[in-house]
Amino acid sequence: MRNHLLTLATVGLVTLGLYLLTQMDGTSGLLSALRLIFIWGIAAISLNLINGQLGILSLGHHGFMLVGGYVTALLMLPEKERRPFRTRLLSDWARDNLDLDKWLRGLGLDFIANSIDLKFIIALFIAGLAAALLGVLVGAPSLRLKGDYLAIVTFGFGEIIRLLPNAPEVAAFTNGPLGIKGIPGDAGTIWWTFFAFLFVLWFFTRLKFSSYGRAFEGIREDEIAAEAMGVNLAYHKVLAFTISAFFAGVAGGLYASYLQSVDTQTFNFFVTFFLLVAISLGGLGSITGAVIGTAVVVLVRNYGGFLEQPYPAWVGYLSGALLMLGAFAFSAYIRKTRRLRPVIETKHYIFGAIGLALLLVTVFFRNEPWMTQTVQFFGMRKILLAVILILIMIYRREGVMGRAEFSWKLIFGPREDIPSEEQRKQDAWLSNPELNPGASETKEDDDASA
Amino acid sequence: MPLLELRNLYKSFGGLQAISNVSLTVEEGEIVSIIGPNGAGKSTLFNLITGVYKPDRGDIFFEGQRINGLSPDQVTKRGIARTFQNLRLFTHLTVLENVLIPQHHRLKSGWLGAVLRTPAYLREEEKMREVALEKLSFFGPRLMSFRLHQPVYVLSYANRRRTEMARAMATGAKLLLLDEPSAGMNPKETKEITQIIRRFRDEGGYTIVLVEHKMNLVGEISDRVVVLDYGEKIAEGNYHDVVNDPKVIEAYLGRREE
Ligand SMILES: Nc1ncnc2c1ncn2[C@@H]1O[C@H](COP(=O)(O)OP(=O)(O)OP(=O)(O)O)[C@@H](O)[C@H]1O
Ligand SMILES: [Mg+2]
Repeated sequence: MRNHLLTLATVGLVTLGLYLLTQMDGTSGLLSALRLIFIWGIAAISLNLINGQLGILSLGHHGFMLVGGYVTALLMLPEKERRPFRTRLLSDWARDNLDLDKWLRGLGLDFIANSIDLKFIIALFIAGLAAALLGVLVGAPSLRLKGDYLAIVTFGFGEIIRLLPNAPEVAAFTNGPLGIKGIPGDAGTIWWTFFAFLFVLWFFTRLKFSSYGRAFEGIREDEIAAEAMGVNLAYHKVLAFTISAFFAGVAGGLYASYLQSVDTQTFNFFVTFFLLVAISLGGLGSITGAVIGTAVVVLVRNYGGFLEQPYPAWVGYLSGALLMLGAFAFSAYIRKTRRLRPVIETKHYIFGAIGLALLLVTVFFRNEPWMTQTVQFFGMRKILLAVILILIMIYRREGVMGRAEFSWKLIFGPREDIPSEEQRKQDAWLSNPELNPGASETKEDDDASA
Repeated sequence: MPLLELRNLYKSFGGLQAISNVSLTVEEGEIVSIIGPNGAGKSTLFNLITGVYKPDRGDIFFEGQRINGLSPDQVTKRGIARTFQNLRLFTHLTVLENVLIPQHHRLKSGWLGAVLRTPAYLREEEKMREVALEKLSFFGPRLMSFRLHQPVYVLSYANRRRTEMARAMATGAKLLLLDEPSAGMNPKETKEITQIIRRFRDEGGYTIVLVEHKMNLVGEISDRVVVLDYGEKIAEGNYHDVVNDPKVIEAYLGRREE
């Protein structure tokens, strides 16, 4: 009860904060970063269901997002934007009738057709359904494959779906490689993304902590055991693929309306790649982690621009030197405090030496032309992300959150897996042969009870 | 009608005849032990019954219905559950979750109901928790309090074995196939597990087929002992007769050179 109140209060505060942000000047950059975090957060959480909770490496997520993006775009596109490429349609019927507005009015739902927001919700829902249908199609044949083979198949599916809009047969719908422009953006304000994100958080948390979520995690832990315990593998895998694809489609639709345009490059493989980076950073299997990872990735991409500005070369040398020295100091510190044997290894000294050498070079040659010339490092943001990922893989392989979720219990307790003094005594009694002759001779319950 | 009936089962792996012409019946409420030297085909027999492997020839009947050809989850739904020789727990999940997952197949609520937490779903979830605790309570309080919420990987080996048995029972099966339930346990623990397996039958109403190498355990609880050697059934009967059967002694010790 207390926890529900806390959650409600937090949601209220965040909503209020967002509202204040929208009222202030000069926050548009921050707001669009937040919008991206929400959109990519939805995509990451949905990918996490397959890759983290079900434990299947799927590389086709961008395909699902693309379907959602195109469907939303086509449903939302005003008649005049659509006319130029629709004329290529062979069938008059299709040209005139594939129109969400027309259907809605035909059903007497004029109030929806007149409201861009309501139309947007319907478009997102249909986008999700279209992607989900594809999820079934991809999920079903993939069931017979495992591991790397499955990853390759999902990747192939993703790419095929991505290239489909370029095919001449469908170009009349999708405008081919030119893509679709002029998607009305006014429905895609931060509020719809925010509410969609909240809904996704709620939905996936509920799913994870339900019997179905446990079944998914059982499959991840041990497929053979899960099947032997009565879990229908095919059903649960397809279910997870479908749910995941649905929300990927929704995220794709939100992203298309954020960009107000969509083409086949909008959702290329790098989309899946960045999502994978995000969920690996945050912790595979953790919804909280997926959000954290997404936030890191989006913030680096949005605010890392200064890394790619032109600078005099010595800035580069200096930062290199400081990085190396920092790495030396940090790893030496870790070694000293965390390991059983506080030794500093040779490789750390090498780091330190390189750093020092770079520093000296920078200082001595600071006036040389090759030091003062202007250089620019394109792609620094990607490199930074890669470095963050490498560091996580070295120091905390399971990601920031591991498989755990944020919960109020984590902060305020009580933790149920730690024995009370009384329980500890009973446990000792159970496993102590002198107190309890029925128990084992050796100290049997050597479980970590702390 | 016997609970489980195997008729002339055959199974080969490439050139190796792992099971050949094995027939066996198990009556309801029995404890049957399957023994035999390493590689005799005991685990393979379990894998055939539970649908992990399909028999090359022969039939398997459970409660009078033919079950060969069913997938493992369908076999479990019919009422046969097993433990694994090398433990196959859901290692990163808690003890409680491990004992809840086998009940998932009996869930009537759909995934939407589970997400919405409909009253019907919450009742089922509550029921699953009760069943989980009931099955874990066979092993005394040691898995019941704080251990419920500990991940399996922190448990001792013996506790993992116990968790796996509780997990098998939680499927709602009538027939338990236990593959070396006492492996890795010391003599005291083995004695305790012997009593507990007997209680599975007496209090839980389970029928039990177990594979074991520890003869004192087998001798103490078996109603009937079946001996496999090179995939063939070479003896069957009560413990005393079987261990004195020359063919069995030969299988274990080898033929005496004259
Ligand atoms: N999947 C498989 N592929 C090939 N050979 C197999 C397979 N499974 C089992 N075998 C072989 O079948 C024979 C019987 O194996 P099984 O595991 O049933 O023996 P077991 O009686 O359980 O032995 P143990 O007492 O060591 O557990 C062995 O020779 C084994 O190598
Ligand atoms: Mg075996």
